Amino acid sequence: MIIGIDVGGTYTDGVVYEKGRIEKTAKKTTRTDDIKSSILEVLDELIVSRKEKIQRLVISTTLVTNIIATGGGEKTALILLPGHGLPHELYDISENTFFLGGSIDFRGREIEKINENEVINCLKTVKSSGIKRIAVAGKFSNRNNKHEKIVKDLCLKYYPESSVVISSEVVNKLNFPRRAATTYFTAMTAKEWHTFAEEIKAALKARGIKAPVDVLKADGGTIPLEKSLQIPCETVFSGPAASTMGGAALTMDNKNSVVIDIGGTTSDISLLIEGNPLYASKGALINGNYTHVNAFAVHSVPLGGDSLVYFEEGKVKVAPYREGAAACLGGMKPTVTDAFNLKYNLNIGNPEFSHKALYELSISSGKDIDVICDEVVEMVIGTLSNAINNMFKEWENEPAYKVWEVINKRKFIPDRLIGIGAASKAIIPVLSEKMNLPYFLHTYSPTANALGAAVARPTLTVNLHIDTAQRIASVDPGGIVTVLEKAENFQLEDAKNLALHFMKKFGEERGMADYINDFVFYQEEQFNIIRGWDRVGKIFDIEVQISPGFIPEYKGVVS
Amino acid sequence: MKPTGILFFPAFDWAISPTHPEREERLLYTRDQLFEEGILDLPQIKEYKPALALFKDIARVHFCVPDIEKSITEAHLIAAGSAIKLADAFMQGEIKNGFAIIRPPGHHSMTVSHGNRGFCNINNEAIMIEYLRKKYRLKKIAVIDTDVHHGDGTQEIYYNDPDVLFISFHQDGRTLYPGTGFTNELGNGRGYGATINIPLLPRTTDEEIHYVLDNLVLPVLNDFKPDLIVNSAGQDNHYTDPLADMCFTAQGYALLNHKLKPDVAVLEGGYSVETALPYINMGIIMAMAGLDFSNLREPDYNPQRFRESSSHLEYLKRLVEKQLSVYQKRNETVAEQYEKAGEKFYVEEKSIFYDTEYIYESQINKLRLCPNCPGYRLIDSKARHRDGKSYHIYCVSIPVNCCDSCHSEALRAYKDISVSSFYDIVYLQDRINDEYISLNKNSGIEKVL
Repeated sequence: MIIGIDVGGTYTDGVVYEKGRIEKTAKKTTRTDDIKSSILEVLDELIVSRKEKIQRLVISTTLVTNIIATGGGEKTALILLPGHGLPHELYDISENTFFLGGSIDFRGREIEKINENEVINCLKTVKSSGIKRIAVAGKFSNRNNKHEKIVKDLCLKYYPESSVVISSEVVNKLNFPRRAATTYFTAMTAKEWHTFAEEIKAALKARGIKAPVDVLKADGGTIPLEKSLQIPCETVFSGPAASTMGGAALTMDNKNSVVIDIGGTTSDISLLIEGNPLYASKGALINGNYTHVNAFAVHSVPLGGDSLVYFEEGKVKVAPYREGAAACLGGMKPTVTDAFNLKYNLNIGNPEFSHKALYELSISSGKDIDVICDEVVEMVIGTLSNAINNMFKEWENEPAYKVWEVINKRKFIPDRLIGIGAASKAIIPVLSEKMNLPYFLHTYSPTANALGAAVARPTLTVNLHIDTAQRIASVDPGGIVTVLEKAENFQLEDAKNLALHFMKKFGEERGMADYINDFVFYQEEQFNIIRGWDRVGKIFDIEVQISPGFIPEYKGVVS
Repeated sequence: MKPTGILFFPAFDWAISPTHPEREERLLYTRDQLFEEGILDLPQIKEYKPALALFKDIARVHFCVPDIEKSITEAHLIAAGSAIKLADAFMQGEIKNGFAIIRPPGHHSMTVSHGNRGFCNINNEAIMIEYLRKKYRLKKIAVIDTDVHHGDGTQEIYYNDPDVLFISFHQDGRTLYPGTGFTNELGNGRGYGATINIPLLPRTTDEEIHYVLDNLVLPVLNDFKPDLIVNSAGQDNHYTDPLADMCFTAQGYALLNHKLKPDVAVLEGGYSVETALPYINMGIIMAMAGLDFSNLREPDYNPQRFRESSSHLEYLKRLVEKQLSVYQKRNETVAEQYEKAGEKFYVEEKSIFYDTEYIYESQINKLRLCPNCPGYRLIDSKARHRDGKSYHIYCVSIPVNCCDSCHSEALRAYKDISVSSFYDIVYLQDRINDEYISLNKNSGIEKVL
């Protein structure tokens, strides 16, 4: 049996999946200040006495998101080597940012040497301010990480008590601010994530559970908990990724779908294009900073089943927060779910309590109860359908840099809506009618996010940039910069083979050898470097990926 | 504050030929620089997706021989369409200004296009401008061409038009392609004085170009009061450009755009793919977005390296004074010229060389000298193409600011000529009715756009 647990903002969901069936589900209110306990509560309810049969446990958690959003995490110094270009004040990522000289250009050539004394002085300042965690990022360090490595070496030498992480080892793709932010968030969340992992391991040990534990990443793939310690940042947004994977897991086909996870106070919208989740083109946006965290394109709307319905300034309003569960499910105040429950006779929980809560609002506001329900429904459906249509447009209007990309115009024609989450049963049918699209709801829609986590397979993306004239190959992840042999005769096939070589290497390190042959090349670009009228080299950009998908034993689930 | 629109279309799968300056690699390092800086992620920037121009948008400006399909590739449609898309975003108020970093370029393309001239097949800026004049009824437009090569295509298209001010500064035509852009090219008919050329001596520096900007370009713009300022943003005045011989820097380009404040800038030439383009493109974006660009510079930049010479400055002072006085007296001069002319048409014979394709075109141009409007044009053009076929064509071009009587006169002229069997193709470009006809006399096929 396989267990999936998804920690959401309001609820923590869990499922037990075994032989094509969901054997058990659990739902608890999330304790934001103690995520570990929320996970264990759900786990304990799920397993009861069958611990030895657990083959796999997958956790999807908002822990890292919470650490970053609440400004928690370890105090971390961000040392930047930005060289020339944009003004430094635009790199507004950390309160503790230090700027150093030294610069590299786009082909990895050193423009300006790094001044070791300047680095040493900077480290003294960091040390005296008591900061022990250091993140380092240099512009174009993805093409040549010599300067970053010098800073790291000097840290080890002059400030050995510190922990230092350099951007080229975290992420090795173009975009300096995103690299800096990703490295910074990785550094500042490392300690708490480590503590969390240790606690989970200890708790499982105490329960006699020996199954491997995986964590769901923002890109919908899993990674062993142990390996995730190096990249805690990638678990940011694993909640929405679980919903998207849940939507795909319930349907298992090649249709164009809109997955809508209606949670307690937020709805997460994502797209499946011919069955494949759509990625965010700019990487996850964390605390206002774009990062290189590979994440699904998820549009969050501050509106869910538990969202409070209230009256203010002569108007019925839907709050972006909750004050407990829906009235029909034992709450005290009227919610979005109650309004739908009453208007469409959905018979959720005890409908009389929905009526009672809304009736009280009707008395205090002087508005007819039907009018209140109509207004709430209109607001909710309008907000959701607008957000969905904007997502289609955004995808269709992504920049394009090649002729064929512009000629082959993209158009997203949705086949259906997939409803996930507790309140989806109430809202999705109405939304479907308004948008004139079929909808899909499943018995297990309310906990499909946990199912998505449970049966997701590992993913891995390898980016390779090769410059045969400079004789460098830079790889993401890893930051390995090698001198190429036989650079003169290097061809596209060689470049692709090299990318696959790295994919195998990292795949084996991450314990995903079984999936290595499922690779897909997403980018294979080559450019001739012409100087005068002669070719002096080639530049290749290769991206190969093991895309999101499901473990081989998962073939779908019966309702 | 509204963002600056950026439309980046490097056409990574298009080249004139594998080793040509207009090849896939041209904007590769610009991509690296822009992406690495993360400038497109900033809230001050909004990135747009390229779009395709319609054949009608092209026919509004050009007579393509033998037809539009055979004259261009999809890349050309995208470059022109992208300029239009960004200009539309500007006119709709989505952005405060916009920069189309697009290939292939266009400013050497003239009204009649028999093929590729100076790397250009169709004129992106003119196609954008005619689209805007039609859609938004813009009256006055200024084009400032800052490419190192004379923008002879744009100049020719607007040579008779008093409502489109064309200012080009460039390396002197005696020392660089296309060999035109001299001070005596001042426009014609009612367009006299609305074309201003500033030929610069080789090795001209930032400071000297800024002298021209401060003392000629900006005062003229201030007087002309255009509804739209377009920068034909070539980047080959740079000190490392392989095809030209000037000493302009990335800082110089950034400051130029800071002062000029173009509404829409469109990339033209610039072939120093590693040492200039990544930095100049950054500079222009930063200046247009109102970002501080003092931290921007090329890796080998040395502020002491290029000093202006006193002989250059002396030459520029005289040039600026002369061109300013021509501009200021242009209305009187036009009136005098019309009085003196006494003829119905101004006739001019021209020969035009297409360097990329080795085509020699000979033209007879007739401009209707009308007392009430800029007048229509009749163009008789002959050229032998590379495939050995010769084309003799006749074109009737009616400008958007044409008077009613000239309009009907021009329509009659087209009607008369379309029955003659003397020409291979006859064309009508009716910008008043936004209708564009080409009639192939050999095949009998008439196309109406």
